[in-house]
Amino acid sequence: MVARTLAALCATGVLALHPLHTTLTELRFNAVDRTVQVSVRAFADDFRAAAGGVSDSAAFAYLRSVLTLSDRDGRVMPLVWCGVRRDGDLLWLCLRALAPRGLAGVQVRARMLFELYRDQINIVQASYDGRRASLLFSRGDSAKALP
Amino acid sequence: MSEVAVFLVLGFRHITDFAAMDHILFLCALAAIYRLQDWRRSLWVITAFTVGHSVTLALAVTGALAPSTRLIEFLIPVTIVATCVENLAVRDRARAPWGGRYRPVFAGVFGLVHGAGFANYLRSLFVAPIAVPLFGFNLGIELGQLVVLALAALALALVDRLIQGLLPRAGSPLRLRVIGVSAVVALVAARWAVERSPW
Repeated sequence: MVARTLAALCATGVLALHPLHTTLTELRFNAVDRTVQVSVRAFADDFRAAAGGVSDSAAFAYLRSVLTLSDRDGRVMPLVWCGVRRDGDLLWLCLRALAPRGLAGVQVRARMLFELYRDQINIVQASYDGRRASLLFSRGDSAKALP
Repeated sequence: MSEVAVFLVLGFRHITDFAAMDHILFLCALAAIYRLQDWRRSLWVITAFTVGHSVTLALAVTGALAPSTRLIEFLIPVTIVATCVENLAVRDRARAPWGGRYRPVFAGVFGLVHGAGFANYLRSLFVAPIAVPLFGFNLGIELGQLVVLALAALALALVDRLIQGLLPRAGSPLRLRVIGVSAVVALVAARWAVERSPW
Protein backbone atom coordinates (compact mmCIF):
# COMPACT_ATOMS: atom_id res chain seq x y z
CA MET A 1 0.00 0.00 0.00
CA VAL A 2 2.85 2.36 0.88
CA ALA A 3 4.55 1.57 -2.42
CA ARG A 4 1.31 2.19 -4.31
CA THR A 5 0.80 5.54 -2.57
CA LEU A 6 4.36 6.57 -3.37
CA ALA A 7 3.91 5.55 -7.00
CA ALA A 8 0.70 7.60 -7.23
CA LEU A 9 2.41 10.64 -5.71
CA CYS A 10 5.32 10.31 -8.10
CA ALA A 11 2.92 10.04 -11.03
CA THR A 12 1.26 13.36 -10.18
CA GLY A 13 4.57 15.10 -10.64
CA VAL A 14 5.11 13.62 -14.09
CA LEU A 15 2.30 15.83 -15.29
CA ALA A 16 3.09 19.37 -16.22
CA LEU A 17 3.38 21.73 -13.31
CA HIS A 18 -0.16 21.88 -11.96
CA PRO A 19 -1.71 24.00 -14.69
CA LEU A 20 -4.47 26.43 -14.00
CA HIS A 21 -7.35 25.52 -16.30
CA THR A 22 -9.14 28.80 -16.80
CA THR A 23 -10.66 31.03 -19.42
CA LEU A 24 -11.46 34.68 -19.07
CA THR A 25 -14.49 36.21 -20.74
CA GLU A 26 -15.02 39.95 -20.80
CA LEU A 27 -18.42 41.46 -21.47
CA ARG A 28 -18.31 45.14 -22.40
CA PHE A 29 -21.59 46.95 -22.77
CA ASN A 30 -21.72 49.79 -25.27
CA ALA A 31 -24.50 52.13 -24.15
CA VAL A 32 -24.47 54.03 -27.46
CA ASP A 33 -25.44 51.19 -29.78
CA ARG A 34 -26.86 48.97 -26.97
CA THR A 35 -24.59 46.03 -27.78
CA VAL A 36 -22.32 43.87 -25.74
CA GLN A 37 -18.91 42.81 -26.97
CA VAL A 38 -17.86 39.41 -25.72
CA SER A 39 -14.14 38.65 -25.63
CA VAL A 40 -13.11 35.13 -24.67
CA ARG A 41 -9.50 34.34 -23.90
CA ALA A 42 -8.39 30.74 -23.86
CA PHE A 43 -5.24 28.75 -24.39
CA ALA A 44 -5.08 27.82 -28.05
CA ASP A 45 -4.19 24.16 -27.50
CA ASP A 46 -7.06 23.61 -25.09
CA PHE A 47 -9.53 25.45 -27.26
CA ARG A 48 -8.50 23.54 -30.38
CA ALA A 49 -8.94 20.25 -28.53
CA ALA A 50 -12.43 21.20 -27.37
CA ALA A 51 -13.69 22.91 -30.52
CA GLY A 52 -12.06 20.59 -33.04
CA GLY A 53 -10.17 23.50 -34.61
CA VAL A 54 -9.68 27.22 -34.41
CA SER A 55 -11.19 28.16 -37.75
CA ASP A 56 -13.91 30.82 -37.58
CA SER A 57 -16.69 28.31 -38.19
CA ALA A 58 -15.39 25.73 -35.68
CA ALA A 59 -14.70 28.33 -33.00
CA PHE A 60 -18.07 30.04 -33.42
CA ALA A 61 -20.01 26.78 -33.46
CA TYR A 62 -18.28 25.65 -30.28
CA LEU A 63 -18.70 28.95 -28.44
CA ARG A 64 -22.39 29.13 -29.36
CA SER A 65 -22.86 25.71 -27.77
CA VAL A 66 -21.10 26.53 -24.48
CA LEU A 67 -21.55 30.25 -23.92
CA THR A 68 -25.03 31.68 -23.62
CA LEU A 69 -26.44 35.05 -22.65
CA SER A 70 -30.14 35.36 -21.88
CA ASP A 71 -32.07 38.49 -21.07
CA ARG A 72 -34.10 39.04 -17.89
CA ASP A 73 -37.06 37.22 -19.44
CA GLY A 74 -34.97 34.18 -20.31
CA ARG A 75 -34.77 34.89 -24.03
CA VAL A 76 -31.45 33.82 -25.54
CA MET A 77 -29.48 36.77 -26.91
CA PRO A 78 -28.14 35.67 -30.33
CA LEU A 79 -24.39 35.92 -30.61
CA VAL A 80 -22.66 37.17 -33.74
CA TRP A 81 -19.12 36.18 -34.62
CA CYS A 82 -16.56 38.97 -34.95
CA GLY A 83 -13.31 37.07 -35.33
CA VAL A 84 -10.40 35.42 -33.60
CA ARG A 85 -6.90 36.69 -32.91
CA ARG A 86 -3.93 34.69 -31.79
CA ASP A 87 -1.46 36.14 -29.28
CA GLY A 88 1.31 33.63 -28.54
CA ASP A 89 -0.31 30.58 -26.99
CA LEU A 90 -3.55 32.49 -26.34
CA LEU A 91 -6.65 33.00 -28.46
CA TRP A 92 -8.87 36.06 -28.27
CA LEU A 93 -12.29 35.13 -29.57
CA CYS A 94 -14.74 37.91 -30.33
CA LEU A 95 -18.54 37.80 -30.28
CA ARG A 96 -21.25 40.45 -30.18
CA ALA A 97 -24.86 40.53 -29.13
CA LEU A 98 -27.63 43.08 -29.02
CA ALA A 99 -28.50 44.12 -25.48
CA PRO A 100 -31.28 46.71 -25.78
CA ARG A 101 -32.04 46.55 -22.05
CA GLY A 102 -28.43 46.58 -20.89
CA LEU A 103 -26.55 43.89 -18.98
CA ALA A 104 -28.14 44.18 -15.53
CA GLY A 105 -30.07 40.97 -14.89
CA VAL A 106 -28.65 39.17 -17.92
CA GLN A 107 -28.17 35.44 -17.31
CA VAL A 108 -24.76 34.09 -18.29
CA ARG A 109 -23.71 30.51 -18.72
CA ALA A 110 -20.06 29.76 -19.52
CA ARG A 111 -19.19 26.08 -19.96
CA MET A 112 -16.02 26.38 -22.03
CA LEU A 113 -13.64 23.41 -21.83
CA PHE A 114 -15.62 21.65 -19.09
CA GLU A 115 -15.48 18.53 -21.24
CA LEU A 116 -11.66 18.61 -21.09
CA TYR A 117 -10.82 19.31 -17.47
CA ARG A 118 -12.63 18.52 -14.24
CA ASP A 119 -10.96 21.54 -12.57
CA GLN A 120 -11.80 23.98 -15.37
CA ILE A 121 -12.88 27.40 -14.11
CA ASN A 122 -14.33 30.08 -16.35
CA ILE A 123 -14.30 33.67 -15.16
CA VAL A 124 -16.68 36.21 -16.66
CA GLN A 125 -16.05 39.91 -16.04
CA ALA A 126 -18.69 42.39 -17.11
CA SER A 127 -18.37 46.17 -17.43
CA TYR A 128 -21.62 48.10 -17.71
CA ASP A 129 -23.33 51.17 -16.32
CA GLY A 130 -20.08 52.35 -14.76
CA ARG A 131 -19.52 49.22 -12.73
CA ARG A 132 -17.80 45.85 -12.90
CA ALA A 133 -19.18 42.48 -11.92
CA SER A 134 -17.55 39.07 -11.96
CA LEU A 135 -18.97 35.57 -12.23
CA LEU A 136 -17.17 32.30 -11.71
CA PHE A 137 -18.23 29.05 -13.36
CA SER A 138 -17.06 25.56 -12.56
CA ARG A 139 -18.42 22.21 -13.70
CA GLY A 140 -22.07 21.68 -12.89
CA ASP A 141 -22.88 25.36 -12.47
CA SER A 142 -26.07 26.62 -14.03
CA ALA A 143 -26.70 30.10 -15.45
CA LYS A 144 -25.85 33.06 -13.20
CA ALA A 145 -27.33 36.54 -13.34
CA LEU A 146 -25.36 39.77 -13.54
CA PRO A 147 -26.40 42.09 -10.71
CA MET B 1 -19.60 38.29 -6.87
CA SER B 2 -16.88 40.90 -6.53
CA GLU B 3 -13.72 40.68 -8.58
CA VAL B 4 -11.58 40.06 -5.50
CA ALA B 5 -13.89 37.22 -4.39
CA VAL B 6 -13.72 35.53 -7.80
CA PHE B 7 -9.93 35.50 -7.79
CA LEU B 8 -9.84 34.51 -4.12
CA VAL B 9 -11.92 31.43 -4.96
CA LEU B 10 -9.64 30.72 -7.92
CA GLY B 11 -6.51 30.88 -5.74
CA PHE B 12 -8.08 28.79 -2.97
CA ARG B 13 -9.24 26.08 -5.35
CA HIS B 14 -5.92 26.06 -7.13
CA ILE B 15 -3.89 25.35 -4.01
CA THR B 16 -6.30 22.83 -2.47
CA ASP B 17 -6.64 20.75 -5.63
CA PHE B 18 -4.99 17.33 -5.68
CA ALA B 19 -3.22 18.38 -8.88
CA ALA B 20 -1.30 20.92 -6.80
CA MET B 21 0.54 18.05 -5.11
CA ASP B 22 3.95 19.67 -5.56
CA HIS B 23 2.75 22.71 -3.61
CA ILE B 24 1.05 20.56 -0.99
CA LEU B 25 4.12 18.38 -0.48
CA PHE B 26 6.26 21.48 -0.10
CA LEU B 27 3.93 22.72 2.63
CA CYS B 28 4.08 19.30 4.31
CA ALA B 29 7.88 19.41 4.19
CA LEU B 30 7.87 22.88 5.76
CA ALA B 31 5.38 21.81 8.42
CA ALA B 32 7.06 18.48 9.22
CA ILE B 33 9.27 19.89 11.99
CA TYR B 34 6.50 21.66 13.90
CA ARG B 35 4.19 20.46 16.63
CA LEU B 36 0.69 21.80 17.14
CA GLN B 37 1.94 24.25 19.77
CA ASP B 38 4.41 25.68 17.21
CA TRP B 39 1.57 27.01 15.04
CA ARG B 40 2.84 30.59 15.20
CA ARG B 41 6.23 29.67 13.75
CA SER B 42 4.68 27.57 11.00
CA LEU B 43 2.33 30.43 10.18
CA TRP B 44 5.32 32.75 9.71
CA VAL B 45 6.98 30.29 7.40
CA ILE B 46 3.85 29.76 5.29
CA THR B 47 3.20 33.49 5.09
CA ALA B 48 6.80 34.10 3.97
CA PHE B 49 6.22 31.52 1.26
CA THR B 50 3.09 33.41 0.14
CA VAL B 51 5.01 36.70 0.08
CA GLY B 52 7.71 35.08 -2.06
CA HIS B 53 5.39 33.71 -4.69
CA SER B 54 3.33 36.91 -4.69
CA VAL B 55 6.45 38.81 -5.72
CA THR B 56 7.28 36.58 -8.70
CA LEU B 57 3.62 36.43 -9.70
CA ALA B 58 3.41 40.20 -9.79
CA LEU B 59 6.68 40.47 -11.73
CA ALA B 60 5.64 37.81 -14.23
CA VAL B 61 2.12 39.14 -14.75
CA THR B 62 3.42 42.63 -15.41
CA GLY B 63 5.93 41.22 -17.89
CA ALA B 64 8.97 42.25 -15.83
CA LEU B 65 9.99 38.62 -15.48
CA ALA B 66 9.70 35.82 -18.04
CA PRO B 67 10.88 32.66 -16.32
CA SER B 68 11.72 29.53 -18.27
CA THR B 69 8.86 27.11 -17.60
CA ARG B 70 11.08 24.04 -17.93
CA LEU B 71 13.64 25.41 -15.48
CA ILE B 72 10.96 26.38 -12.96
CA GLU B 73 9.27 22.98 -13.26
CA PHE B 74 12.61 21.44 -12.37
CA LEU B 75 13.42 23.87 -9.55
CA ILE B 76 10.15 23.36 -7.69
CA PRO B 77 10.87 19.75 -6.68
CA VAL B 78 14.45 20.82 -5.94
CA THR B 79 13.10 23.28 -3.34
CA ILE B 80 11.09 20.45 -1.81
CA VAL B 81 14.14 18.19 -1.61
CA ALA B 82 16.21 21.03 -0.13
CA THR B 83 13.56 21.62 2.57
CA CYS B 84 13.58 17.92 3.44
CA VAL B 85 17.38 17.87 3.60
CA GLU B 86 17.28 20.81 6.00
CA ASN B 87 14.68 18.98 8.09
CA LEU B 88 16.95 15.96 8.30
CA ALA B 89 20.23 17.83 8.77
CA VAL B 90 19.18 20.01 11.71
CA ARG B 91 18.73 17.59 14.58
CA ASP B 92 18.46 20.18 17.33
CA ARG B 93 16.38 23.21 16.35
CA ALA B 94 17.45 25.12 19.48
CA ARG B 95 21.07 24.97 18.24
CA ALA B 96 20.27 25.78 14.62
CA PRO B 97 21.77 29.03 13.24
CA TRP B 98 19.78 32.06 14.47
CA GLY B 99 17.61 29.66 16.48
CA GLY B 100 16.09 28.37 13.22
CA ARG B 101 14.67 31.78 12.39
CA TYR B 102 16.15 31.58 8.90
CA ARG B 103 13.33 29.26 7.84
CA PRO B 104 10.90 32.05 6.87
CA VAL B 105 13.70 33.50 4.72
CA PHE B 106 14.27 30.33 2.76
CA ALA B 107 10.53 29.71 2.56
CA GLY B 108 10.25 33.18 1.01
CA VAL B 109 13.07 32.47 -1.45
CA PHE B 110 11.55 29.13 -2.42
CA GLY B 111 8.21 30.91 -2.73
CA LEU B 112 9.78 33.01 -5.50
CA VAL B 113 10.33 29.80 -7.46
CA HIS B 114 6.84 28.39 -6.82
CA GLY B 115 5.21 31.69 -7.80
CA ALA B 116 6.99 31.58 -11.14
CA GLY B 117 5.44 28.15 -11.64
CA PHE B 118 1.94 29.37 -12.23
CA ALA B 119 2.80 32.82 -13.48
CA ASN B 120 2.56 31.67 -17.08
CA TYR B 121 -1.03 30.58 -16.58
CA LEU B 122 -2.02 33.71 -14.74
CA ARG B 123 -0.47 36.04 -17.26
CA SER B 124 -3.31 35.09 -19.57
CA LEU B 125 -5.93 35.83 -16.95
CA PHE B 126 -4.88 39.13 -15.53
CA VAL B 127 -5.52 42.19 -17.58
CA ALA B 128 -4.84 45.71 -16.42
CA PRO B 129 -5.62 46.78 -13.76
CA ILE B 130 -4.09 43.69 -12.16
CA ALA B 131 -3.89 44.82 -8.50
CA VAL B 132 -7.31 43.54 -7.45
CA PRO B 133 -7.15 40.13 -9.19
CA LEU B 134 -3.60 39.59 -7.97
CA PHE B 135 -4.53 40.49 -4.40
CA GLY B 136 -7.58 38.21 -4.49
CA PHE B 137 -5.63 35.32 -5.99
CA ASN B 138 -2.83 35.59 -3.43
CA LEU B 139 -5.31 35.87 -0.57
CA GLY B 140 -7.01 32.71 -1.84
CA ILE B 141 -3.64 30.95 -2.04
CA GLU B 142 -2.84 31.99 1.54
CA LEU B 143 -6.21 30.79 2.85
CA GLY B 144 -5.83 27.53 0.92
CA GLN B 145 -2.38 27.06 2.40
CA LEU B 146 -3.74 27.58 5.90
CA VAL B 147 -6.29 24.84 5.28
CA VAL B 148 -3.57 22.53 3.93
CA LEU B 149 -1.37 23.42 6.91
CA ALA B 150 -4.17 22.68 9.39
CA LEU B 151 -4.85 19.30 7.76
CA ALA B 152 -1.11 18.56 7.65
CA ALA B 153 -0.79 19.42 11.36
CA LEU B 154 -3.59 16.99 12.20
CA ALA B 155 -2.06 14.28 10.00
CA LEU B 156 1.35 14.81 11.61
CA ALA B 157 -0.20 14.57 15.08
CA LEU B 158 -1.70 11.22 13.99
CA VAL B 159 1.73 10.11 12.76
CA ASP B 160 3.11 10.97 16.21
CA ARG B 161 0.41 8.83 17.83
CA LEU B 162 1.22 5.99 15.46
CA ILE B 163 4.92 6.20 16.26
CA GLN B 164 4.19 6.25 19.99
CA GLY B 165 1.97 3.19 19.59
CA LEU B 166 4.49 1.26 17.53
CA LEU B 167 7.64 2.40 19.36
CA PRO B 168 6.60 3.23 22.93
CA ARG B 169 10.23 3.39 24.15
CA ALA B 170 11.41 5.72 21.42
CA GLY B 171 10.80 8.85 23.51
CA SER B 172 9.57 11.92 21.66
CA PRO B 173 8.14 10.92 18.29
CA LEU B 174 9.01 14.29 16.72
CA ARG B 175 12.44 13.32 15.39
CA LEU B 176 11.20 10.02 13.97
CA ARG B 177 8.30 11.83 12.36
CA VAL B 178 10.59 14.43 10.81
CA ILE B 179 12.82 11.67 9.43
CA GLY B 180 9.91 9.60 8.09
CA VAL B 181 7.93 12.43 6.50
CA SER B 182 11.01 14.19 5.09
CA ALA B 183 12.41 10.98 3.62
CA VAL B 184 9.14 10.09 1.86
CA VAL B 185 8.56 13.62 0.54
CA ALA B 186 12.20 13.94 -0.56
CA LEU B 187 11.99 10.64 -2.43
CA VAL B 188 8.88 11.71 -4.35
CA ALA B 189 10.24 15.18 -5.10
CA ALA B 190 13.63 13.82 -6.19
CA ARG B 191 11.89 11.64 -8.74
CA TRP B 192 9.93 14.64 -10.03
CA ALA B 193 13.19 16.61 -10.31
CA VAL B 194 14.80 13.85 -12.36
CA GLU B 195 11.76 13.56 -14.64
CA ARG B 196 11.48 17.31 -15.13
CA SER B 197 15.19 17.89 -15.60
CA PRO B 198 15.74 20.25 -18.54
CA TRP B 199 19.13 18.67 -19.27
